[in-house]
Amino acid sequence: MKRPLLALPLALLASAASAETLALYNWGDYINPEVMTRFTAETGIEVTLDTYSSNEEMLAKIQAGATGYDIVFPSVWMQDIMVKLGLLHETRINEHPDFSRINPAFMRSKEDPDSSFCLPYAWGTVGVFYNEDITGPINGWADFFAIPERTGAKISLLDDMREVLGMGLIMTGHSVNSTDPAEIQAAADYVISQRGKVTAFTYESMALMTSGDLAAAHFFVGGHVFFLDMPNIKYVIPVEGATMYQENVCVLKDAPHKEAAQRFLEFYLQPEIAALNVSQQFNGTPNIPANQLTPDFIKNNPNVNVPDATLARLQIFEDLGAAIRVYDRAWSAIKTAQ
Amino acid sequence: MSPRERARIVVLLAPATLFLGVFFLGPLVIIAVYSLLTPGLYGGVEWTFYHWNFGRIFGWADGIMEVFQPVYLRILLRSLSFGLLTVLVCLTLCYPVAFWIARLPQRWRMLFLFLITLPFFASLIVRLYAWLLILKPSGPLGMAFTALGMEPPELLYSPAAVILGMVYIFIPFMFLPLFAAVDNLDRALVEASADLGATPFQTFRKIIVPQTLPGIAGGSVIVFIPAVGNFIVPDILGGANGLMIGNLVEQQFLSSRNWPFGSALAMVIMGVVLVVLVTFTSRAAKAGAVR
Repeated sequence: MKRPLLALPLALLASAASAETLALYNWGDYINPEVMTRFTAETGIEVTLDTYSSNEEMLAKIQAGATGYDIVFPSVWMQDIMVKLGLLHETRINEHPDFSRINPAFMRSKEDPDSSFCLPYAWGTVGVFYNEDITGPINGWADFFAIPERTGAKISLLDDMREVLGMGLIMTGHSVNSTDPAEIQAAADYVISQRGKVTAFTYESMALMTSGDLAAAHFFVGGHVFFLDMPNIKYVIPVEGATMYQENVCVLKDAPHKEAAQRFLEFYLQPEIAALNVSQQFNGTPNIPANQLTPDFIKNNPNVNVPDATLARLQIFEDLGAAIRVYDRAWSAIKTAQ
Repeated sequence: MSPRERARIVVLLAPATLFLGVFFLGPLVIIAVYSLLTPGLYGGVEWTFYHWNFGRIFGWADGIMEVFQPVYLRILLRSLSFGLLTVLVCLTLCYPVAFWIARLPQRWRMLFLFLITLPFFASLIVRLYAWLLILKPSGPLGMAFTALGMEPPELLYSPAAVILGMVYIFIPFMFLPLFAAVDNLDRALVEASADLGATPFQTFRKIIVPQTLPGIAGGSVIVFIPAVGNFIVPDILGGANGLMIGNLVEQQFLSSRNWPFGSALAMVIMGVVLVVLVTFTSRAAKAGAVR
């Protein structure tokens, strides 16, 4: 009963302020502001944006009864959880005539296999940025970990449990979604064996790459945006394998502005809009015609517009269920290793 | 006490009691209860009793779903020592400054008090990022060392950076109570002590320290508590090399979806801090009584 009681006055407040608003709840820096401006210009609907920094943070807030949000951008595995928990509204976006533009390969959700809930939004890779002046060419993880010894320069990994253990699993030859404690332990042992070479586990590596304090960093492809004027900073999707991410646009079951939300999903089906987003975000789009509309430096960059051969060595995270506890223990052991 | 007086006291105390009850005791009870429940698969809790959350920390575990790891106790110990170190550095820096400012003419004093609280006007996150820029090897600190022909120290992403960051953010918390105590110091007693032949050190130990003890104790307590549980400074300046117990709590809620274990860790921090403080204050009270 708690939720409807809270939701009602908030929804009333929101609708009293303006009949035409839309509240997005998205990752930080994960939408081109221009896209929202265009949406308002086209539809007259005002857009507000709140941000989160992890799927769990978003889920916890929605579960705790955060109301007033219309649209969230969960990763595919989190979308699966949210469908299971009954938190999402069925939009039937797949019945829209323009939905045929979406590459079916990106309909990855297990709980929503035909995209009747969410619209595939964007995807990208997690790889290594490196300063070629210092490191020379880098092909993969083995090269990456060799940098400190070879050049005396510093490297960093993401402060992210799944990404770091995923890298360990890749390097020990297992799936990044392994739930086998022995495999997870082996992955942790691998990471711990490299721990001494890693200066930091951090998300703030891009500023330190720019200033030259780090020679290489584990980061999302979107990091390109920091190095537009620095051709010496390159990005590689490691040859040994890497992870990819994909987020989808979902409407919440409690969304106060479902109609506006539906219009946003339809708006985002336009190839020009998806391309507009990509041109600022440097990630991939599932919208097939949009890929032809992106600027040349994105279209012709094999690390951003990824060829099929590279795609084959990417893995995407799935929900781990109860095995997340094994990861949690391994992650604590990695972070506290001396 | 007449019934009217009693009624007046009840009315006066009601808002504070209600406020603390709802916004302090309520959340505390939720944490305490959650720490003894089974973690839900997707965050939240299942309403069955579960003692393994504490077992994981203190050494009993079923070995299947829950495994004992000594890292939690080790990190707790490290957090306590970081907190203590932060208190000591803050105290050493603030104590002489408090005396100096207390002696200044009134309008200068106001200016300096204002300057000490000035950092509060800017966001904590922004100020910590500023430290990141200062401490990085190519930053001003590193350049100063290089200019002097020395190797820049490896400060960023080290425990020292975490202590530095915490000292920086907690200095006003130490300074203000300390200043209040120093300002109230009875100077006549100090002069009398000198007149009666005490050495400056004796005067300091027997007159000045006991008189300013409430300020020292107050400042130490309000620095120690938030320092031990801090997670934002190690997050930004430690890069996992200065990991503290607060980071482990954060990890449970924001990536491992284990709210009960996060709650258990939080309860342990609170328990340990409470024990430390009770011991400390009873010692301080005894020292005060001896005087």
